[in-house]
Amino acid sequence: MRRPGQRGLAVGALATIVTLLITSCGAGGRPEEDQGGGSASDVGVTAESVKVGAHFPLTGVAAPGYSEIPTGAKAYFDFVNAAGGVNGRRIDYVYRDDAYNPTNTSQVVNELVLQDEIFAMVGGLGTPTHSAVLDFLNSSEVPDLFVSSGSLLWDQPETNPQTFGWQPDYEVEGKIIGQYVQQNFPDAKVGLFLQDDDFGEDGEKGARAYIDDQIVAAERYAPGNTDVGPQVAALQAAGADLVIGFNVPSYTALSQLTAMRLNYDPQWIYSNVGSDPALVGSLLSRFSEGQVTDAALLQGVMTTEYLPGVDAPDNAWTKLWQRVWDAHGGQGQLSNYRIYGMAQAYTFVQALQAAGPDPTREGIVTALEEMGGELRGPAFVPYRYSADSHAGLSGVKVVRIAGTGGTEDLSPVLVTGNGDTEITEHTEEHAAPPENGIPNVQPQN
Amino acid sequence: MQQFVNFTLGGLSQGAIYAAFALALVLIWRATRIINFAQGAMAMFTTYLALTLIESGLSYWAGFAAALAGGLVLGALVERVVMRPVEGGPELNAVIVTLGLFVAFQALAAILFGATFQSFPAPFGLRGFTVGEMTIAFTPFSVFVIASVVVVMLALTALFRFTDLGLRMRASAFSQEVSRLLGVRVGRMLTLGWALAAVVGSLAGLLIAGGNLVHPAYMDAVIVYGFVAAVLGGLESPGGAVAGGLIIGLALSYVSGYLGSELVTLAALAILVAVLLVRPRGLFSRVAARRV
Repeated sequence: MRRPGQRGLAVGALATIVTLLITSCGAGGRPEEDQGGGSASDVGVTAESVKVGAHFPLTGVAAPGYSEIPTGAKAYFDFVNAAGGVNGRRIDYVYRDDAYNPTNTSQVVNELVLQDEIFAMVGGLGTPTHSAVLDFLNSSEVPDLFVSSGSLLWDQPETNPQTFGWQPDYEVEGKIIGQYVQQNFPDAKVGLFLQDDDFGEDGEKGARAYIDDQIVAAERYAPGNTDVGPQVAALQAAGADLVIGFNVPSYTALSQLTAMRLNYDPQWIYSNVGSDPALVGSLLSRFSEGQVTDAALLQGVMTTEYLPGVDAPDNAWTKLWQRVWDAHGGQGQLSNYRIYGMAQAYTFVQALQAAGPDPTREGIVTALEEMGGELRGPAFVPYRYSADSHAGLSGVKVVRIAGTGGTEDLSPVLVTGNGDTEITEHTEEHAAPPENGIPNVQPQN
Repeated sequence: MQQFVNFTLGGLSQGAIYAAFALALVLIWRATRIINFAQGAMAMFTTYLALTLIESGLSYWAGFAAALAGGLVLGALVERVVMRPVEGGPELNAVIVTLGLFVAFQALAAILFGATFQSFPAPFGLRGFTVGEMTIAFTPFSVFVIASVVVVMLALTALFRFTDLGLRMRASAFSQEVSRLLGVRVGRMLTLGWALAAVVGSLAGLLIAGGNLVHPAYMDAVIVYGFVAAVLGGLESPGGAVAGGLIIGLALSYVSGYLGSELVTLAALAILVAVLLVRPRGLFSRVAARRV
C-alpha cells in the first residue's frame, strides 16, 4: 500500500523539479507551443495531448461489468490517437479504481485533478461515488462530462455548471417502462425491486407517474447486503405478477436466483443498467450444474436499450466498435459495457472538436451547451444539452431478451424529459457512423 | 402466512451458515483462547481453491474435499509460522496478528483469483420444495447446510466432552505451563486446534458460497454475524453457537423482511449489545468458574 504512494510522491517531486528547470530555461525564449497547430490552451492541454480522467469500480461489488467500461473508452481513444488525435492532440486517458466507495472516489479524483492535472473528467461512474466529488469538481472548475449514472443529480446547470449527464436518466427510463406496462399489462399487479438510493428512487418516480395504482409492493435492498430473500418473498406475498427492477447486475443475478428458490415466476423487467444478458448469464451459469443455463434464465425478461449492442452484430455502429476493439482492445471480447465506454469516448471526441482548435475548460462546456443538442452519435436518441439542461440522452426503447442473448424490440424508440413531459416517438433515422469511425464536428466559430 | 413461513425458513438456512462459522470461532477459542479474525478470510481462500478445482473440471465433491484438506493444512501452517511467535505473549498481540492476516489473505485472493464476482456451484437443487400448493423457501441445499452444521456441532461436542484429545486441547489452551508439566504436548495441541478450526471454517465458507456469488470480501458480513452468534452462545459451547446462529439468522430475516434491508446491520448490533448487557457471558453460559 505504502510504496506506490511514496513513489508517486517522488515522481511528483521529480516532475516539479523538471518543470521548474524547463520553465526557467525557456524563460528567455519563445514558447515552443506556438509553432504548429495547437497550443497549451488550458490545464491538461499541451500542443500534443489532452489529458482526461475518470473513476471506476475496478474491484468490489460493482466491478462486474462496470470495470469493462474504461477498457472500451481507452480502446476508442487509442483508435482516435492512431488516426492522429483531435486537432493534432493525442488523448491521454487516466482511470483509477475507487471500488465503488465514495471515500476512495474523493481521494482518486483529488489525485486526478491536482496531481495528474487532467483537463476534464470523462465518464466517472456511480451515483453515490460521483456525488462525493460533485462539489469539488465544480468549485475547481473542471469540466465533469458524461457521468456514468442515470441520476437526476447531474442535470443542475445552476448549481453544477461543469457537470453533464450522459445516459438516459432513471426517471426517463422509469416513465417509458411505466407507460409500456400501463398499455400492455393493464391488469398486472406490479412489484418494484429497488436499490435503496437515488437509482431506485428516480426509477420509482418515473414508473409511478404511469402505474401508481397498479403497484402493489415496493421492496428496497441495501447495496452490499447480498441476501435479498426477504425482499423477493415480500414481492411474492404481495401477489406481484410483474416485477420492475432498478438494480445493478449482480442483484439481477441474486434476485433471479432467489426467485428460483421460491419458485416465483413473475414477468421481470430490469432497467438497462442491470440487465446485460452476457454478464448476468455468466454470473448465473454455474448454478445447479447445468440445471439452469444462462440463456434460459433471462429469456423473456424485458429491459430497455439506447445503444446498439453486441446482440446486433450487423449494425454499422457495432461493426465500428468491433473494428476498434479488434485493433486496440486488450484481453477479452467486445461487450455492451465496452461499447458504453466507447460511445462515451466518441461523445467526448465530438465535444472536444466542438470546442475548437484551442480547447479551454470554459470552451468545452459552452460548446456542449450550444451544440450538444444537435450532436448525433451511437445512441438512438439525441442529447438534451442546452444552457438550461445538462441532461443526457432523451429516451430508450423497450426490448425483450430472446433465448440466445439477442433482443427483440417491443416498442419504437421513445423520447421524453423529466416531470410532466409527454412521451413521444422518436422518428428520426439513426444515422450510421462516419466512414473512418471518427466524428467530424465543426466548431461554431 | 406464506410470507412468514418463507422469512422463517430463509432465516433458518441463513442462520445455519452463521452457526457453522460461529462453531469455527468457538473451536479456536476453546483450543487456543484467542479470537481468530482471519477465520473468514482463510475460509474464503479455501473456497476459491475449491472453485479453481471445480472450474478445471473436477467434480464438486473433489473441490469440497480439497477445500477441507486445504483448510487443515492452512490452519496448521498459519499457527506454526505466523501465530507461534506471538503465542504466550499478551492475548491482544495474537488478535492483532489475526487482523493483519485477514487483510493479507483478502489481498492475496484478489491477486490470485481476481476481485470480481463469480458464481459458485451447489451440489443439490436450488429450487424450493413444494408443500401442497405452496413453494417454500427451503431447498435441498438448505437441508444439506443444516445437516452439515448439526453433524459438526455433535462432533465438536463429543470431541471436547468425551475424548482424551479434547481434554488435552482444552487444558493446553487454558494453562499452557500446567499442561506441559502434566505431559501434554502443548504446541501440537495448539496446531491441531488451529487446523481443526480452519477445517470447520472452510466448511462454513463452502456452505455460504454454494449457489451464491463469491468475491474476496464475501465472508465479511458472515464474519460479523458469525461473531455475534458465537458471543450470543457464550463462545464456549458448540450448542450455544448453533443456537446463537439460528437466532441471529431468524432475527435478521424478520428485520429485513418486515422493517427493511437497511436495518439489518443495526439490528445485529442491537441484539449483541442487548445480550451483553443482560447476560455478559452469553445466553448459554452456565458456570462462571472453569473446570479443566
